[in-house]
Amino acid sequence: MSRVIGRRALLLFAASLIALAGCGSSKPAAPPTVKTATIGGLGTVLVNGQGYTLYMFVPDARRGVTCTGACAGTWPPLKTAAGKTAQAAGGADAALFGADQSPDGSTVVTYNKWPLYTYAADINPGDVVGQALDLNGGYWYVMQPDGTPLVPHGSPPIPAS
Amino acid sequence: MSRRLSPELPLTRRGLLVGGAGLLVGAAAAEGANLAIGGPGPSKQLTPGEDLMREHGVLKRILLTYRNVLDRQSANQPVPTAAVHDGATIIHHYIEGFHEGLEEAYVFPPLRTAGQLVETVDTLLVQHARGRRLTSRVLDITTAATLTTAAGTQLGSDLAAFLRMYEPHEAREDTVVFPALRQLLSPSELRSLADTFVAEEDKQFGPDAFTDMVDRVAGIEKTLGISDLSQFTPTV
Repeated sequence: MSRVIGRRALLLFAASLIALAGCGSSKPAAPPTVKTATIGGLGTVLVNGQGYTLYMFVPDARRGVTCTGACAGTWPPLKTAAGKTAQAAGGADAALFGADQSPDGSTVVTYNKWPLYTYAADINPGDVVGQALDLNGGYWYVMQPDGTPLVPHGSPPIPAS
Repeated sequence: MSRRLSPELPLTRRGLLVGGAGLLVGAAAAEGANLAIGGPGPSKQLTPGEDLMREHGVLKRILLTYRNVLDRQSANQPVPTAAVHDGATIIHHYIEGFHEGLEEAYVFPPLRTAGQLVETVDTLLVQHARGRRLTSRVLDITTAATLTTAAGTQLGSDLAAFLRMYEPHEAREDTVVFPALRQLLSPSELRSLADTFVAEEDKQFGPDAFTDMVDRVAGIEKTLGISDLSQFTPTV
């Protein structure tokens, strides 16, 4: 394996680490886009600009980002620049966007005060493999355009916050 | 061989960092030099790959308990649901909620960025997701002290599927994925990543998490009567 290639890869890897695990010093050039997509069996949900499903994490409790470190590897938060939030597209409601500072120092997009995350195992846009999964200390649900998580029948309800 | 390498007296990661022998996997001295993270001699610090592999060791031991349960089912013996539940709980928190998170945060992204093992990484990610669903179902089923016939059948199917997936999964990671990461990173970057792994584990589970997990698995093995390693030695 070429060490030259490895070095180049590391430069990109460093950026990935910042994005995933949150070293906090790099700022995205432009706010991320959040739009809506219709996903079979679930209806219309929020997705990121590349079409990957966005999730909320119940333990965040609309108060702030609690998924960091290894958790953020599994659930990469939707990051933006400090002082910025996301750009709305499709059926996403711009009035519901906000931002929260993660414990790792990065800024994460919120929707109706819920920090937004993707799921590493959603390999393709439109995948929704993480829906209603209990992992990393709580349940994960997709987010609907009206700002409410989509909780399937039989899954634990979200405590009032 | 150091007494501290006995399975009954597992090394803590902190112990290895401070004063361990760096021979966790029982490698010979020459092999130890090969595993070192930089420096002229054998390192006392686990490489990220070694760290992840010893967590695989915890998973392997739980897979052995799952196999034992399947053997019991085949022999029409009662299923020790509490033991299965305990093992699945460790997998849920320590493997799926932590170990796989480390892989997803720090191992897979650089490989993907470098264009290496991309299809393999995608498959491993899908398997992580399927494993989490299987474990969730195993945990649900084994909350009951006794199982209905249908629940027992479902449990057996899920345990067998989990075993069938994770044996090749972790073998591929140990022999292909982790070595590729090691080739990709410099010694100083490997050291930094090793430190990150330690910090993450300490933050999430406390300073002796690995030892605690090994102790818990050993307890499950004892419950199932498979704690004596010599019972697995064939007569030749």
